[in-house]
Parts: sequence; C-alpha cells; structure tokens
Amino acid sequence: MTTSTLPPAGGAAGDAGPGAGIAFGGWDGFDRGRTRGGGLRAQWRGFATAVRLGWSTEANWTDPILFFIYSVAKPVSAALILVVMLEVIGGASTREYRGFVVTGSALWAMVLSGIAGLAWSILEDRERYRMLKYVYVSQSDFLVVLTGRAVARAAVGAMGAVITLAIGVVVLGVPFDPFAIDWPLLAVVTTVGVVAIVAIGMILGAVVMQSRQEAWQYPEAVAGALFLVAGAVFPLAVLPMPIQIVGLLTPLAWWIEGTRLALFEGGLSAIGGPGSAWQALTGTASPSTTEVVVALLVTGVVGTLLATLAFRASERRAKDRGLLDQTTGS
Amino acid sequence: MTATSIRPRSGGRPARDPFIGRPTASPQAAAEWTRRQVVMANLRSVRGRAYPRVTGLFREKSWLLFEILLPFLTTSAFVFVYRALQAPPEYIGFVVVGGAMSAFWLNVVWMMAAQLYWEKDQGNLELYFAAPMDVMSVLFGMALGGMVMSSSRAIAVLVVATLVYGVTFAVDQWLLLGLVFLLTLAALYGLGMILSSLFLMWGREAWHMTQLLVEPVYFVSGLNFPVARLGMLGALAVATIPLAVGLDAIRQLCFVGTDVSLLPPGVEALILAIMAVVFTLAARASLRILERRARIEGRLTARWR
Repeated sequence: MTTSTLPPAGGAAGDAGPGAGIAFGGWDGFDRGRTRGGGLRAQWRGFATAVRLGWSTEANWTDPILFFIYSVAKPVSAALILVVMLEVIGGASTREYRGFVVTGSALWAMVLSGIAGLAWSILEDRERYRMLKYVYVSQSDFLVVLTGRAVARAAVGAMGAVITLAIGVVVLGVPFDPFAIDWPLLAVVTTVGVVAIVAIGMILGAVVMQSRQEAWQYPEAVAGALFLVAGAVFPLAVLPMPIQIVGLLTPLAWWIEGTRLALFEGGLSAIGGPGSAWQALTGTASPSTTEVVVALLVTGVVGTLLATLAFRASERRAKDRGLLDQTTGS
Repeated sequence: MTATSIRPRSGGRPARDPFIGRPTASPQAAAEWTRRQVVMANLRSVRGRAYPRVTGLFREKSWLLFEILLPFLTTSAFVFVYRALQAPPEYIGFVVVGGAMSAFWLNVVWMMAAQLYWEKDQGNLELYFAAPMDVMSVLFGMALGGMVMSSSRAIAVLVVATLVYGVTFAVDQWLLLGLVFLLTLAALYGLGMILSSLFLMWGREAWHMTQLLVEPVYFVSGLNFPVARLGMLGALAVATIPLAVGLDAIRQLCFVGTDVSLLPPGVEALILAIMAVVFTLAARASLRILERRARIEGRLTARWR
C-alpha cells in the first residue's frame, strides 16, 4: 500500500477531500480507532486468553497423570533432598527445621515456574514457534499477554507447591494445624508474592529479549542465585552480613517469611535470629507480621516498578533493532 | 560430486575424485569406501561435533557467569544448609563434590539427551542421517565436547568452593580416583547417548522429561548427602544410575576415613565399567532401531512433535 491510499492525518476514516483514502467497496479506509485497543476489558480478555494458552502449552503435551507426576516430582524431590540432609545430621532442632525447609522448597517451585514463565514464553515464541512478532502486533498489550503466560506457569508451580506441602504434612510429619492458619495474611502475602515473582520474571524477560536463544538457562541460573539470599531453606543469619542485606532487599525473602508466619506461627524465622542483619539493624529478634507485610509491599512495589521500566526499555530497544522477529538458531 | 569427476579420461584411466582420494570408474565405485576412509570420516565427524562445544567455551563469555558463578551459588545454598545444621566439615565437602559432578549430569541431560530432539527441531537431524557417517560418531562427538565443556565448569566450581568454604580433601589413591572419575564420565555419557534416542522418540515431551530428570535423580543419587542413607532406594540407584555410584566412589576416595559408603570403591569402579560398556552398546542398538523407525514413519523432518 502506498501513502496515497491512507486517509489524511487527523481525519476520520473515509473522509472525502484531497489526499483522502481511496474508497474500496465496503471499506472506508484505515480505521485508527482499531489500533488503540479496547480498554481494560480487552486487556482482561487478552490476559485471560494468554493464561489459557499458557496452561494449554504447559499441560497438553501428555496425559493428566504424567503431567501430575511431572509437576510434583521436581518440588517433592527438592524437598526430599533437604529432608534427608536434615536426617543425616540429626539433632534436636531438625524436626522444627523440617517444616521450615519443606515450606521453603515448596514455595521455591512456584518461584522457579513464575520467574521462568515470562522469559521462556519470549524465547519459545520467538525462536521456536516464531510467533512473537505476531503476538507483538496483535491488539493485546505485549506485556499483558506475556504476564498471562507467566501466570499460567506459576499456577503449575503453585500446584507443585501445594502438593509438596501436603506430602510434607502427611508423609514427612511436618507439624501443621489447618485451624491455626492466618488466612488473611496468607492471602495478602500470596497475592503480593505472585506479583513480585512475575516482576522478577519481567526483568528476565527484558534480558532475554536482547539475548540469543541460549538465554533459556538464565531463569534457572538467576533462581539459583536468589535461592541463596531468599532464606528459602536456611536462615539468612548464616550468611555474611552484606549478603543478608541483599536478601532483605528482595521481595522473595519477605514473601517466604510471610507465608511461613501464616502457616506455622511461632516457627523458625529465616530473617531474624541471633547474628542476623535484622537483629543488628532493628534490635528485635525477628520481624513481626506487620513488618513482614510492609516490607513485602515496599520491596514488591519497588521491584514491580523497576521491572516494568526495564521491560518497556527492553521492548523499545528490541523494536528499534528488529530483535522481536529474529531467530538466533537455525 | 560432479559428473566430470567420475568420468574416465580419454586415455581410459578413471579420473581421481577429489573427495574419494582414489580413481573411481563410476558413482557406485566411489560409494564403496575403504575401511580407512570410513574410520577417518567418522573420526572427522566426532571432531566436527565436539568442535562447537569446545570452541563455544571461549567464544560465549556469558557462560562464565551462567555456567560457573550461578551454579556455584546454588551449591553454596546447600553448604549453608549444612552450616545452619552445624554439620561435620566433610559434609560441606560432599556438597562441593556433588555440585561439581552435577555439571556433568546437567550436560548429559540437556546437551546429550535432548540434543537430537533439538537438532530435529532445527532441521539438522535429517542432515545427520543423510551424511556418510555413523550417527554414533555424532553422539561421541557431542559427548567428548560435552565432557570438556562440563569439566571446565566442574573444575571451576570445585576450586572456588574449596577455597571459599575451606574444604579439605584426604586422598590416598589418586590413580583409582582418576580411573573412577573417567569411568563415571564414560557411563554418564553412555546413558546420555541412550536417552538421546529415547528423547527423540518421545518428541515434544523431551523438554519436560529433561526437567523431570534433574531433581529426582539428584535425590536418589545422593547429590548432597551419602547415598547409603537412602537404604534400598540408594542401592537401587547405585545399580542403575552412574551419577549415584560415581559420586559414592569419588566421595570415598576424596574423604578417606568417612564411613558413609555403600560399596568399596573398587567394586563401584567395576559397576561403572560395566555400565559404560552396556550403555554404549544399548545406545547403538536404540539408535539403529530409532533410525529405522524414523525412516519408515518419515518423522525425521517432522518438527515440533
């Protein structure tokens, strides 16, 4: 199409006059309104479709039983490794510590899936299925679609986390009282935690958009590094002080702490305790529920804002340099 | 091969074919290779497939971060679990050795087992089968390149973690340790060759199977603890998984005096040797079956399945 076929700038589609778009039968020219999207409702539709697509991509490769085994084998094995490590060493504190590590490793399954979801969606759609460019030019917001895909993967991880916790309680003897759960706290920390996980995934998505296809390993590698500072399976107090501070700046540490507080009130704290940075900074043994929620909100909001900025900047650069439709494999 | 290269000269003597290295009278004659030519072509294939993995070590600098630093941090997490539990110092060593050996397992799973499936996805597999070589030489090349690649990561993790966490090794039998290590690699990559055929058959499930083979195998192999503590399950793992038996033997030889073993290291070396032979032969058989099946069903070029 040449410029002479376009409607005049600022004019309504189908305007008559010099330079107006040519009128084909039944077509009034280029409708600019259609490029503006359909508001929140359309965004929600795009998000829901992306979640459904993500779930199908994740789940339809096999029969439900194998999918179930696959979804739980990884987190359950990770928890079992830690439980056997506790058993090998023994000691009085291992029973209390068992609940700590089972919860942490179960929640980590969700972190792994959520962090990887967005980045892998970009890589899969760009390098393998070669659909990213079509997703990008579709009416839905690019970030909303990718977030939907990430949420679907996080849901698979959440399923693994719940089953790992159940196995921990039923088989591994993790002390648990369903009537003692602080449900409001659990709801708040889970909601903010999932947003924070997806935000970290967005940062990785921004990175892989600029990278080659080998970047598929980045999410797991970054998750491995975060595993060290998030207090998932050991208290942060055993780490050197500067690394503890790094841990306190990540929303994941607060999310895991908040979930532990909601599920096992009075249990071990990953953030506080003797020799911890928290104790050195605040003078208290461990953070209260309110402090955990506030810290999670602050780190989560800051992280999400930074992630959005990073993603938008990466998206602009990728668009400028034609990275959205490049394939770096054969 | 061009038509002129196989046409006899006017004098009656057949022309020397530049690719065959000897005079040939016809395309049929050119296709009949001597044993030396077959061996050389396969050796070149091994070198050619190993080359990108070895060269990639030096060309892709980001791997330094993602293949060495970040796995080191993951290993560190388990070191800190033992520290939090105030475990004996040799357990820190167990984790460090396990972290180093995990590099080989990850390489076997990701870059051996799933590789042929990815090659199919990228359209290279049909070229492998069409090329005048044994596909086993491609697998050997992948294995050799992978060993070199993973060794760099394993050595880096081992050295850095040993220095940072002050691990003290007590080795009495260096020769046996070296032999066990090599046998472990041979058995591991033999298993990887079998898995590469199976993954190709499983198709789209390969990616998920790859994920499935990491943590569960770490658990049953006793990556961060003595496999003997798993009892019957540990014994079963030692009998079937090279990582389990190799780790158990290497730990016994690296930390003499720690009584955490399942079998003596000599016996475990024998198990590894048997595994290496059996796995390699089984890989050859499975590749033949798969190749035949793939040719009959025409699935070599079917992507995303």
